[in-house]
Amino acid sequence: MIEAQSVGKSYGSFVAVRDVSFSVLPGEILGLLGPNGAGKTTIMRILTGYHFPSRGRALVGGVDVTRDPPAVKAMVGYLPENAPVYGEFTVAEYLDFVAGARRIPGKDRREAVEKAVESCGLSPVYRRGIEKLSKGYRQRVGLAQAILHDPPILILDEPTAGLDPNQIVEIRRLIRALGTRKTLILSTHILREVEALCDGIVILNEGLVAARGTREEIADRMKGDERYRVLITQGPPVTRESLAEVRDAKGVESLSPHPGGGWEALVLFPSGSSGGEALFDWAVERGHKLGSLAREDQGLESLFSRLTEEDHA
Amino acid sequence: MPRIAPLIKKELGSLFNTPMAYILGVTFLVFQGVWFFFLYRFPVMNEASLRGYFGLMPGVFTALVPALTMRSWAEEMRLGTAELYLTLPYREGELALAKLLASFLLLTLLLALTLPVPLTLSSLGDFDPGEILGQYLGILLLGAAAVSVGQFASVLTTNQMSAFLLGFFSLLALTTAHLAAGAPGLPDGAAGVFRYFSLSAHYESFRKGVLDSRDLVFFLLVPVLFQLLTVRVLVWRKWR
Repeated sequence: MIEAQSVGKSYGSFVAVRDVSFSVLPGEILGLLGPNGAGKTTIMRILTGYHFPSRGRALVGGVDVTRDPPAVKAMVGYLPENAPVYGEFTVAEYLDFVAGARRIPGKDRREAVEKAVESCGLSPVYRRGIEKLSKGYRQRVGLAQAILHDPPILILDEPTAGLDPNQIVEIRRLIRALGTRKTLILSTHILREVEALCDGIVILNEGLVAARGTREEIADRMKGDERYRVLITQGPPVTRESLAEVRDAKGVESLSPHPGGGWEALVLFPSGSSGGEALFDWAVERGHKLGSLAREDQGLESLFSRLTEEDHA
Repeated sequence: MPRIAPLIKKELGSLFNTPMAYILGVTFLVFQGVWFFFLYRFPVMNEASLRGYFGLMPGVFTALVPALTMRSWAEEMRLGTAELYLTLPYREGELALAKLLASFLLLTLLLALTLPVPLTLSSLGDFDPGEILGQYLGILLLGAAAVSVGQFASVLTTNQMSAFLLGFFSLLALTTAHLAAGAPGLPDGAAGVFRYFSLSAHYESFRKGVLDSRDLVFFLLVPVLFQLLTVRVLVWRKWR
Protein backbone atom coordinates (compact mmCIF):
# COMPACT_ATOMS: atom_id res chain seq x y z
CA MET A 1 0.00 0.00 0.00
CA ILE A 2 2.82 2.36 0.89
CA GLU A 3 6.37 1.91 -0.17
CA ALA A 4 9.47 3.97 0.43
CA GLN A 5 12.40 2.89 -1.73
CA SER A 6 15.72 4.38 -0.65
CA VAL A 7 14.04 7.70 -0.06
CA GLY A 8 16.30 10.64 0.69
CA LYS A 9 15.54 14.28 1.19
CA SER A 10 17.81 17.28 1.56
CA TYR A 11 16.82 20.85 2.33
CA GLY A 12 19.69 22.79 0.82
CA SER A 13 22.80 21.39 2.43
CA PHE A 14 20.84 19.91 5.32
CA VAL A 15 20.14 16.20 4.91
CA ALA A 16 16.86 15.40 6.65
CA VAL A 17 16.48 11.85 5.36
CA ARG A 18 19.44 9.91 4.06
CA ASP A 19 18.19 6.55 2.91
CA VAL A 20 14.96 5.10 4.15
CA SER A 21 13.11 2.07 2.83
CA PHE A 22 10.06 0.38 4.24
CA SER A 23 6.68 -0.80 3.15
CA VAL A 24 3.28 -0.90 4.74
CA LEU A 25 0.73 -3.55 3.89
CA PRO A 26 -2.96 -2.72 3.52
CA GLY A 27 -4.65 -2.53 6.90
CA GLU A 28 -1.39 -2.32 8.78
CA ILE A 29 -0.57 0.31 11.40
CA LEU A 30 3.03 1.35 11.10
CA GLY A 31 4.76 3.37 13.76
CA LEU A 32 7.58 5.69 12.77
CA LEU A 33 9.61 6.00 15.88
CA GLY A 34 12.58 8.22 16.44
CA PRO A 35 13.94 11.19 18.30
CA ASN A 36 13.25 14.72 17.09
CA GLY A 37 15.11 15.40 13.88
CA ALA A 38 15.24 11.73 12.90
CA GLY A 39 13.34 12.45 9.69
CA LYS A 40 9.85 11.28 10.64
CA THR A 41 8.07 14.44 9.58
CA THR A 42 10.04 14.63 6.35
CA ILE A 43 9.05 11.08 5.44
CA MET A 44 5.42 11.90 6.11
CA ARG A 45 5.61 15.06 4.05
CA ILE A 46 6.92 13.00 1.17
CA LEU A 47 4.21 10.35 1.50
CA THR A 48 1.50 13.01 1.50
CA GLY A 49 2.81 14.73 -1.62
CA TYR A 50 3.68 17.90 0.30
CA HIS A 51 7.36 17.55 -0.50
CA PHE A 52 9.13 15.55 -3.16
CA PRO A 53 12.00 13.20 -2.34
CA SER A 54 15.48 14.25 -3.46
CA ARG A 55 16.46 10.62 -3.99
CA GLY A 56 14.68 7.32 -4.28
CA ARG A 57 11.00 6.65 -4.86
CA ALA A 58 7.89 6.76 -2.75
CA LEU A 59 4.78 4.89 -3.82
CA VAL A 60 1.41 5.44 -2.25
CA GLY A 61 -1.34 3.11 -3.37
CA GLY A 62 0.94 2.16 -6.26
CA VAL A 63 1.30 5.78 -7.40
CA ASP A 64 4.66 7.54 -7.46
CA VAL A 65 4.21 10.66 -5.32
CA THR A 66 6.08 12.84 -7.81
CA ARG A 67 4.14 11.49 -10.78
CA ASP A 68 0.57 12.28 -9.74
CA PRO A 69 0.41 14.21 -6.47
CA PRO A 70 -3.33 14.98 -6.61
CA ALA A 71 -4.11 11.26 -6.91
CA VAL A 72 -1.87 10.54 -3.93
CA LYS A 73 -3.40 13.35 -1.91
CA ALA A 74 -6.88 12.04 -2.68
CA MET A 75 -6.00 8.65 -1.17
CA VAL A 76 -4.45 10.08 1.95
CA GLY A 77 -5.81 11.74 5.07
CA TYR A 78 -3.09 13.75 6.75
CA LEU A 79 -2.67 15.24 10.18
CA PRO A 80 0.44 17.44 9.98
CA GLU A 81 2.78 17.99 12.89
CA ASN A 82 1.36 20.27 15.61
CA ALA A 83 -2.10 19.95 14.03
CA PRO A 84 -2.27 23.36 12.35
CA VAL A 85 -5.79 24.81 12.17
CA TYR A 86 -7.63 27.60 10.44
CA GLY A 87 -8.53 29.60 13.52
CA GLU A 88 -10.80 32.02 11.70
CA PHE A 89 -13.43 29.37 10.99
CA THR A 90 -15.87 27.47 13.16
CA VAL A 91 -15.52 23.69 13.23
CA ALA A 92 -18.67 23.46 11.11
CA GLU A 93 -17.43 25.92 8.49
CA TYR A 94 -14.03 24.31 8.30
CA LEU A 95 -15.25 20.74 7.91
CA ASP A 96 -17.73 21.89 5.29
CA PHE A 97 -14.84 23.43 3.37
CA VAL A 98 -12.77 20.26 3.64
CA ALA A 99 -15.71 18.17 2.46
CA GLY A 100 -16.05 20.41 -0.57
CA ALA A 101 -12.34 20.50 -1.30
CA ARG A 102 -12.16 16.72 -0.92
CA ARG A 103 -14.95 16.63 -3.49
CA ILE A 104 -17.36 14.60 -1.44
CA PRO A 105 -20.62 14.68 -3.44
CA GLY A 106 -23.17 17.15 -2.07
CA LYS A 107 -25.62 14.53 -0.92
CA ASP A 108 -23.04 12.62 1.12
CA ARG A 109 -21.41 15.67 2.64
CA ARG A 110 -23.65 16.01 5.65
CA GLU A 111 -23.26 12.38 6.56
CA ALA A 112 -19.48 12.49 6.14
CA VAL A 113 -19.18 15.55 8.35
CA GLU A 114 -21.52 14.07 10.96
CA LYS A 115 -19.54 10.87 11.04
CA ALA A 116 -16.21 12.63 11.45
CA VAL A 117 -17.62 14.94 14.11
CA GLU A 118 -19.03 12.02 16.01
CA SER A 119 -15.98 9.78 15.88
CA CYS A 120 -13.69 12.63 16.91
CA GLY A 121 -16.02 13.78 19.68
CA LEU A 122 -16.43 17.26 18.25
CA SER A 123 -20.18 17.68 18.77
CA PRO A 124 -19.82 19.94 21.85
CA VAL A 125 -17.73 22.47 19.90
CA TYR A 126 -19.25 22.09 16.44
CA ARG A 127 -20.41 25.71 16.21
CA ARG A 128 -17.43 27.19 18.03
CA GLY A 129 -14.57 29.12 16.48
CA ILE A 130 -11.50 26.92 16.12
CA GLU A 131 -9.26 29.68 17.46
CA LYS A 132 -10.85 29.40 20.88
CA LEU A 133 -10.62 25.61 21.15
CA SER A 134 -8.28 23.81 23.51
CA LYS A 135 -5.22 22.00 22.20
CA GLY A 136 -7.05 18.69 22.53
CA TYR A 137 -10.01 19.81 20.49
CA ARG A 138 -7.76 21.34 17.84
CA GLN A 139 -6.00 18.03 17.52
CA ARG A 140 -9.36 16.38 17.03
CA VAL A 141 -10.33 18.94 14.40
CA GLY A 142 -7.12 17.96 12.64
CA LEU A 143 -8.06 14.31 12.87
CA ALA A 144 -11.61 15.00 11.72
CA GLN A 145 -10.40 16.75 8.56
CA ALA A 146 -8.03 13.84 7.91
CA ILE A 147 -10.72 11.16 8.06
CA LEU A 148 -13.56 13.18 6.56
CA HIS A 149 -13.27 11.73 3.06
CA ASP A 150 -12.85 8.22 4.43
CA PRO A 151 -9.40 7.78 2.85
CA PRO A 152 -7.86 4.32 2.62
CA ILE A 153 -4.61 5.72 4.02
CA LEU A 154 -4.08 7.84 7.10
CA ILE A 155 -0.84 9.60 7.92
CA LEU A 156 -0.72 11.11 11.39
CA ASP A 157 2.29 13.10 12.53
CA GLU A 158 2.56 12.94 16.32
CA PRO A 159 -1.19 12.62 16.83
CA THR A 160 -0.98 12.71 20.61
CA ALA A 161 1.66 15.41 21.04
CA GLY A 162 0.70 18.02 23.58
CA LEU A 163 -2.39 16.24 24.85
CA ASP A 164 -3.16 15.41 28.45
CA PRO A 165 -3.34 11.74 29.51
CA ASN A 166 -7.12 11.49 29.20
CA GLN A 167 -7.07 12.98 25.74
CA ILE A 168 -4.26 10.65 24.75
CA VAL A 169 -6.32 7.66 25.77
CA GLU A 170 -9.25 8.92 23.70
CA ILE A 171 -7.18 9.69 20.62
CA ARG A 172 -5.51 6.28 20.85
CA ARG A 173 -8.87 4.61 21.05
CA LEU A 174 -9.93 6.50 17.95
CA ILE A 175 -6.73 5.60 16.09
CA ARG A 176 -7.10 1.96 17.02
CA ALA A 177 -10.67 1.97 15.71
CA LEU A 178 -9.54 3.64 12.49
CA GLY A 179 -6.69 1.20 12.15
CA THR A 180 -9.04 -1.72 11.76
CA ARG A 181 -10.25 -0.34 8.43
CA LYS A 182 -7.34 1.70 7.13
CA THR A 183 -3.68 1.63 6.37
CA LEU A 184 -2.12 3.92 8.89
CA ILE A 185 1.24 5.47 9.54
CA LEU A 186 1.79 7.40 12.70
CA SER A 187 4.90 9.00 14.03
CA THR A 188 5.85 9.46 17.61
CA HIS A 189 8.77 9.76 19.91
CA ILE A 190 6.81 8.02 22.63
CA LEU A 191 7.61 4.33 22.76
CA ARG A 192 4.51 3.36 24.62
CA GLU A 193 2.43 4.68 21.78
CA VAL A 194 4.04 2.37 19.29
CA GLU A 195 3.66 -0.59 21.59
CA ALA A 196 0.02 0.28 22.20
CA LEU A 197 -1.01 0.83 18.60
CA CYS A 198 1.29 -0.46 15.93
CA ASP A 199 1.66 -3.73 14.02
CA GLY A 200 5.01 -2.77 12.61
CA ILE A 201 7.70 -0.37 13.69
CA VAL A 202 10.33 1.56 11.83
CA ILE A 203 12.87 3.17 14.06
CA LEU A 204 14.50 6.17 12.45
CA ASN A 205 17.68 7.82 13.54
CA GLU A 206 19.48 10.65 11.78
CA GLY A 207 17.70 10.02 8.52
CA LEU A 208 18.34 6.28 8.43
CA VAL A 209 16.33 3.22 9.40
CA ALA A 210 17.86 2.04 12.64
CA ALA A 211 15.58 -0.98 12.93
CA ARG A 212 12.37 -2.25 11.45
CA GLY A 213 9.94 -5.05 11.99
CA THR A 214 7.39 -6.05 14.56
CA ARG A 215 8.10 -5.35 18.18
CA GLU A 216 9.21 -8.96 18.62
CA GLU A 217 11.40 -8.94 15.55
CA ILE A 218 13.18 -5.82 16.67
CA ALA A 219 13.65 -7.33 20.10
CA ASP A 220 15.06 -10.47 18.45
CA ARG A 221 17.48 -8.51 16.37
CA MET A 222 18.67 -6.73 19.42
CA LYS A 223 19.20 -10.05 21.08
CA GLY A 224 22.81 -10.14 20.02
CA ASP A 225 23.43 -9.68 23.72
CA GLU A 226 21.77 -10.96 26.84
CA ARG A 227 22.09 -8.76 29.85
CA TYR A 228 22.13 -9.90 33.45
CA ARG A 229 21.77 -7.59 36.38
CA VAL A 230 23.56 -9.01 39.36
CA LEU A 231 23.79 -7.73 42.93
CA ILE A 232 26.86 -8.97 44.77
CA THR A 233 26.49 -8.47 48.48
CA GLN A 234 29.53 -10.10 50.03
CA GLY A 235 33.01 -11.36 49.24
CA PRO A 236 36.21 -9.83 47.91
CA PRO A 237 36.05 -6.52 45.99
CA VAL A 238 34.50 -6.82 42.54
CA THR A 239 36.27 -5.22 39.59
CA ARG A 240 35.66 -5.23 35.89
CA GLU A 241 38.67 -7.49 35.57
CA SER A 242 37.29 -10.03 38.00
CA LEU A 243 33.92 -9.96 36.27
CA ALA A 244 35.61 -10.56 32.95
CA GLU A 245 36.55 -13.99 34.25
CA VAL A 246 32.91 -15.05 34.26
CA ARG A 247 32.49 -17.91 31.80
CA ASP A 248 31.26 -16.74 28.37
CA ALA A 249 30.95 -13.11 29.52
CA LYS A 250 31.22 -10.70 26.61
CA GLY A 251 31.61 -7.57 28.60
CA VAL A 252 30.57 -5.50 31.55
CA GLU A 253 28.13 -2.77 30.75
CA SER A 254 28.20 -1.19 34.17
CA LEU A 255 29.62 -1.77 37.61
CA SER A 256 28.86 0.41 40.57
CA PRO A 257 28.79 0.18 44.33
CA HIS A 258 25.31 -0.60 45.56
CA PRO A 259 23.79 1.88 48.04
CA GLY A 260 22.91 -0.95 50.42
CA GLY A 261 26.46 -2.36 50.31
CA GLY A 262 28.14 -4.55 47.73
CA TRP A 263 28.19 -3.97 43.99
CA GLU A 264 25.72 -3.96 41.21
CA ALA A 265 26.77 -4.98 37.75
CA LEU A 266 25.29 -5.41 34.29
CA VAL A 267 27.04 -8.23 32.48
CA LEU A 268 26.63 -9.04 28.81
CA PHE A 269 26.56 -12.52 27.32
CA PRO A 270 26.19 -13.68 23.75
CA SER A 271 22.68 -14.85 23.00
CA GLY A 272 22.02 -18.50 23.75
CA SER A 273 24.61 -18.78 26.47
CA SER A 274 23.52 -19.53 30.00
CA GLY A 275 24.77 -16.39 31.63
CA GLY A 276 22.83 -16.89 34.84
CA GLU A 277 24.53 -20.16 35.59
CA ALA A 278 27.92 -18.79 34.67
CA LEU A 279 27.49 -15.86 37.02
CA PHE A 280 26.36 -18.16 39.81
CA ASP A 281 29.34 -20.50 39.35
CA TRP A 282 31.68 -17.53 39.25
CA ALA A 283 30.27 -16.15 42.50
CA VAL A 284 30.56 -19.47 44.29
CA GLU A 285 34.11 -20.01 43.05
CA ARG A 286 35.25 -16.59 44.27
CA GLY A 287 33.33 -16.62 47.51
CA HIS A 288 30.74 -13.95 46.63
CA LYS A 289 27.21 -13.92 47.82
CA LEU A 290 24.54 -12.88 45.38
CA GLY A 291 21.72 -10.63 46.55
CA SER A 292 19.90 -10.99 43.28
CA LEU A 293 20.47 -12.20 39.77
CA ALA A 294 18.09 -11.46 36.94
CA ARG A 295 17.99 -11.31 33.20
CA GLU A 296 17.13 -7.82 31.97
CA ASP A 297 14.04 -7.55 29.85
CA GLN A 298 14.89 -6.03 26.51
CA GLY A 299 11.92 -3.64 26.53
CA LEU A 300 11.53 -1.34 23.57
CA GLU A 301 12.48 1.51 25.81
CA SER A 302 16.00 0.25 26.36
CA LEU A 303 16.22 -1.00 22.78
CA PHE A 304 15.30 2.36 21.59
CA SER A 305 17.77 4.30 23.61
CA ARG A 306 20.48 1.86 22.57
CA LEU A 307 19.46 2.05 18.93
CA THR A 308 19.54 5.75 18.81
CA GLU A 309 22.64 6.21 20.90
CA GLU A 310 24.83 3.83 18.96
CA ASP A 311 25.72 6.47 16.41
CA HIS A 312 26.93 8.87 19.02
CA ALA A 313 29.02 6.31 20.88
CA MET B 1 -13.88 26.14 -12.18
CA PRO B 2 -16.47 24.30 -10.04
CA ARG B 3 -13.53 22.19 -8.88
CA ILE B 4 -11.89 25.10 -7.13
CA ALA B 5 -15.13 26.76 -5.97
CA PRO B 6 -14.74 25.35 -2.42
CA LEU B 7 -11.19 26.76 -2.29
CA ILE B 8 -12.36 30.20 -3.38
CA LYS B 9 -15.14 30.08 -0.82
CA LYS B 10 -12.63 29.24 1.88
CA GLU B 11 -10.34 32.11 0.88
CA LEU B 12 -13.24 34.55 0.90
CA GLY B 13 -14.35 33.14 4.24
CA SER B 14 -10.85 33.71 5.57
CA LEU B 15 -10.94 37.30 4.39
CA PHE B 16 -14.42 38.03 5.71
CA ASN B 17 -13.96 36.24 9.03
CA THR B 18 -11.20 38.66 9.95
CA PRO B 19 -11.62 42.43 10.31
CA MET B 20 -9.09 43.11 7.56
CA ALA B 21 -11.52 43.07 4.63
CA TYR B 22 -13.92 45.44 6.38
CA ILE B 23 -11.23 47.84 7.51
CA LEU B 24 -9.76 47.99 4.03
CA GLY B 25 -13.15 48.31 2.37
CA VAL B 26 -14.31 51.19 4.53
CA THR B 27 -10.96 52.95 4.31
CA PHE B 28 -10.95 52.60 0.55
CA LEU B 29 -14.46 53.95 0.04
CA VAL B 30 -14.07 56.81 2.48
CA PHE B 31 -10.72 57.77 1.03
CA GLN B 32 -12.06 57.71 -2.52
CA GLY B 33 -15.03 59.88 -1.50
CA VAL B 34 -12.94 62.40 0.40
CA TRP B 35 -10.44 62.58 -2.42
CA PHE B 36 -13.00 63.04 -5.17
CA PHE B 37 -15.41 65.44 -3.54
CA PHE B 38 -13.18 67.48 -1.25
CA LEU B 39 -9.62 67.30 -2.52
CA TYR B 40 -10.22 66.93 -6.24
CA ARG B 41 -13.24 69.20 -5.66
CA PHE B 42 -15.40 67.51 -8.25
CA PRO B 43 -18.51 69.56 -7.36
CA VAL B 44 -16.87 72.78 -8.59
CA MET B 45 -14.96 71.22 -11.50
CA ASN B 46 -17.82 71.50 -13.93
CA GLU B 47 -16.99 68.24 -15.69
CA ALA B 48 -19.24 65.28 -16.37
CA SER B 49 -16.54 62.64 -16.02
CA LEU B 50 -15.15 60.31 -13.38
CA ARG B 51 -11.57 60.68 -14.56
CA GLY B 52 -10.80 62.36 -11.27
CA TYR B 53 -12.37 59.53 -9.29
CA PHE B 54 -10.34 56.90 -11.08
CA GLY B 55 -7.21 58.99 -11.43
CA LEU B 56 -5.78 58.16 -8.04
CA MET B 57 -6.81 54.53 -7.92
CA PRO B 58 -3.59 52.99 -9.25
CA GLY B 59 -1.79 54.75 -6.42
CA VAL B 60 -4.38 53.63 -3.88
CA PHE B 61 -4.10 50.09 -5.15
CA THR B 62 -0.36 49.95 -4.47
CA ALA B 63 -1.25 49.93 -0.76
CA LEU B 64 -4.75 48.45 -0.81
CA VAL B 65 -4.02 45.34 -2.84
CA PRO B 66 -0.94 44.13 -0.93
CA ALA B 67 -2.95 44.62 2.26
CA LEU B 68 -5.61 42.31 0.83
CA THR B 69 -3.16 39.67 -0.36
CA MET B 70 -0.38 39.75 2.26
CA ARG B 71 -2.00 37.06 4.43
CA SER B 72 -2.77 34.74 1.56
CA TRP B 73 0.28 32.44 1.53
CA ALA B 74 2.49 34.04 4.16
CA GLU B 75 0.08 33.40 6.99
CA GLU B 76 -0.62 29.83 5.89
CA MET B 77 3.11 29.14 5.81
CA ARG B 78 3.62 30.71 9.22
CA LEU B 79 0.78 28.81 10.88
CA GLY B 80 1.53 25.55 9.08
CA THR B 81 -1.95 25.41 7.54
CA ALA B 82 -0.21 25.53 4.15
CA GLU B 83 0.52 21.88 4.79
CA LEU B 84 -3.21 21.23 4.93
CA TYR B 85 -3.97 23.45 1.98
CA LEU B 86 -1.23 22.03 -0.23
CA THR B 87 -2.15 18.43 0.54
CA LEU B 88 -5.69 18.87 -0.71
CA PRO B 89 -6.20 16.88 -3.91
CA TYR B 90 -5.44 19.71 -6.33
CA ARG B 91 -2.60 20.85 -8.54
CA GLU B 92 -0.52 23.78 -7.34
CA GLY B 93 -1.94 25.83 -10.20
CA GLU B 94 -5.48 25.33 -8.95
CA LEU B 95 -4.54 26.11 -5.36
CA ALA B 96 -2.82 29.32 -6.44
CA LEU B 97 -5.59 30.27 -8.84
CA ALA B 98 -8.19 29.96 -6.08
CA LYS B 99 -6.32 32.45 -3.93
CA LEU B 100 -5.80 34.78 -6.86
CA LEU B 101 -9.47 34.71 -7.83
CA ALA B 102 -10.66 35.12 -4.25
CA SER B 103 -8.66 38.29 -3.71
CA PHE B 104 -9.71 39.53 -7.14
CA LEU B 105 -13.36 38.88 -6.27
CA LEU B 106 -12.99 40.83 -3.07
CA LEU B 107 -11.43 43.71 -4.96
CA THR B 108 -14.26 43.52 -7.49
CA LEU B 109 -16.73 43.73 -4.63
CA LEU B 110 -15.00 46.84 -3.30
CA LEU B 111 -15.20 48.40 -6.75
CA ALA B 112 -18.86 47.41 -7.02
CA LEU B 113 -19.43 49.36 -3.84
CA THR B 114 -18.24 52.49 -5.62
CA LEU B 115 -21.04 52.15 -8.18
CA PRO B 116 -23.38 54.46 -6.25
CA VAL B 117 -21.00 57.30 -7.16
CA PRO B 118 -21.55 57.13 -10.95
CA LEU B 119 -25.18 56.07 -10.49
CA THR B 120 -26.07 59.11 -8.41
CA LEU B 121 -23.95 61.51 -10.42
CA SER B 122 -25.25 60.34 -13.80
CA SER B 123 -28.55 62.14 -13.25
CA LEU B 124 -26.71 65.39 -12.63
CA GLY B 125 -24.90 65.72 -15.92
CA ASP B 126 -24.14 64.35 -19.30
CA PHE B 127 -21.81 61.45 -18.38
CA ASP B 128 -20.53 59.16 -21.10
CA PRO B 129 -21.54 55.61 -20.12
CA GLY B 130 -18.91 54.21 -22.46
CA GLU B 131 -16.18 56.11 -20.68
CA ILE B 132 -17.35 54.95 -17.26
CA LEU B 133 -17.52 51.38 -18.49
CA GLY B 134 -13.99 51.70 -19.83
CA GLN B 135 -12.84 53.11 -16.51
CA TYR B 136 -14.29 50.20 -14.59
CA LEU B 137 -12.89 47.69 -17.02
CA GLY B 138 -9.48 49.36 -16.79
CA ILE B 139 -9.42 49.44 -13.01
CA LEU B 140 -10.54 45.81 -12.85
CA LEU B 141 -7.73 44.79 -15.16
CA LEU B 142 -5.26 46.85 -13.18
CA GLY B 143 -6.65 45.25 -10.03
CA ALA B 144 -6.17 41.75 -11.43
CA ALA B 145 -2.56 42.57 -12.27
CA ALA B 146 -1.97 44.10 -8.83
CA VAL B 147 -3.57 41.13 -7.06
CA SER B 148 -1.34 38.71 -8.92
CA VAL B 149 1.73 40.70 -7.87
CA GLY B 150 0.45 40.72 -4.27
CA GLN B 151 -0.12 36.97 -4.31
CA PHE B 152 3.37 36.41 -5.61
CA ALA B 153 4.81 38.64 -2.89
CA SER B 154 2.88 36.63 -0.29
CA VAL B 155 4.17 33.28 -1.51
CA LEU B 156 7.76 34.46 -1.14
CA THR B 157 7.69 34.97 2.61
CA THR B 158 6.22 33.64 5.83
CA ASN B 159 5.74 37.10 7.27
CA GLN B 160 2.67 39.18 6.44
CA MET B 161 4.46 42.48 6.88
CA SER B 162 7.27 41.44 4.53
CA ALA B 163 4.65 40.30 2.04
CA PHE B 164 2.93 43.66 2.29
CA LEU B 165 6.11 45.66 1.85
CA LEU B 166 7.31 43.49 -1.00
CA GLY B 167 3.96 43.85 -2.74
CA PHE B 168 3.75 47.55 -2.01
CA PHE B 169 7.17 48.42 -3.39
CA SER B 170 6.76 46.14 -6.40
CA LEU B 171 3.46 47.75 -7.27
CA LEU B 172 4.85 51.20 -6.57
CA ALA B 173 7.65 50.51 -9.02
CA LEU B 174 5.22 49.13 -11.58
CA THR B 175 2.78 52.02 -11.31
CA THR B 176 5.45 54.70 -11.52
CA ALA B 177 7.75 53.09 -14.07
CA HIS B 178 6.55 55.50 -16.78
CA LEU B 179 7.81 58.42 -14.70
CA ALA B 180 11.30 56.94 -14.81
CA ALA B 181 10.96 56.83 -18.58
CA GLY B 182 11.11 60.61 -18.57
CA ALA B 183 14.46 60.76 -16.83
CA PRO B 184 16.90 62.93 -18.78
CA GLY B 185 19.63 61.12 -20.68
CA LEU B 186 17.85 57.77 -20.63
CA PRO B 187 18.32 55.82 -23.88
CA ASP B 188 15.13 55.49 -25.89
CA GLY B 189 15.13 51.72 -25.56
CA ALA B 190 15.23 51.81 -21.77
CA ALA B 191 12.57 54.49 -21.65
CA GLY B 192 10.39 52.31 -23.84
CA VAL B 193 10.84 49.38 -21.49
CA PHE B 194 9.95 51.49 -18.47
CA ARG B 195 6.91 52.80 -20.22
CA TYR B 196 5.84 49.33 -21.31
CA PHE B 197 5.99 47.92 -17.80
CA SER B 198 4.12 50.77 -16.20
CA LEU B 199 0.70 49.66 -15.01
CA SER B 200 -0.62 53.20 -14.93
CA ALA B 201 0.56 53.96 -18.45
CA HIS B 202 -1.56 51.08 -19.73
CA TYR B 203 -4.38 52.04 -17.42
CA GLU B 204 -4.37 55.64 -18.64
CA SER B 205 -6.14 54.92 -21.91
CA PHE B 206 -8.88 53.01 -20.12
CA ARG B 207 -9.30 55.92 -17.73
CA LYS B 208 -9.92 58.17 -20.72
CA GLY B 209 -12.45 55.66 -21.99
CA VAL B 210 -10.27 54.39 -24.81
CA LEU B 211 -9.94 50.66 -25.40
CA ASP B 212 -6.57 49.65 -26.82
CA SER B 213 -5.95 45.99 -27.52
CA ARG B 214 -2.25 46.35 -26.63
CA ASP B 215 -3.19 47.52 -23.15
CA LEU B 216 -5.69 44.70 -22.89
CA VAL B 217 -3.04 42.16 -23.81
CA PHE B 218 -0.63 43.66 -21.29
CA PHE B 219 -3.15 43.44 -18.49
CA LEU B 220 -3.93 39.83 -19.33
CA LEU B 221 -0.24 38.91 -19.50
CA VAL B 222 0.68 40.29 -16.09
CA PRO B 223 -1.64 38.08 -13.99
CA VAL B 224 -0.71 35.06 -16.09
CA LEU B 225 2.98 35.76 -15.55
CA PHE B 226 2.70 36.21 -11.79
CA GLN B 227 0.37 33.25 -11.41
CA LEU B 228 2.97 31.12 -13.18
CA LEU B 229 5.72 32.52 -10.96
CA THR B 230 3.67 31.76 -7.86
CA VAL B 231 3.14 28.18 -9.00
CA ARG B 232 6.86 27.89 -9.80
CA VAL B 233 7.70 28.87 -6.23
CA LEU B 234 5.21 26.35 -4.82
CA VAL B 235 6.57 23.53 -6.94
CA TRP B 236 10.16 24.55 -6.33
CA ARG B 237 9.53 24.35 -2.58
CA LYS B 238 8.49 20.72 -2.94
CA TRP B 239 11.81 19.83 -4.57
CA ARG B 240 13.96 22.17 -2.58
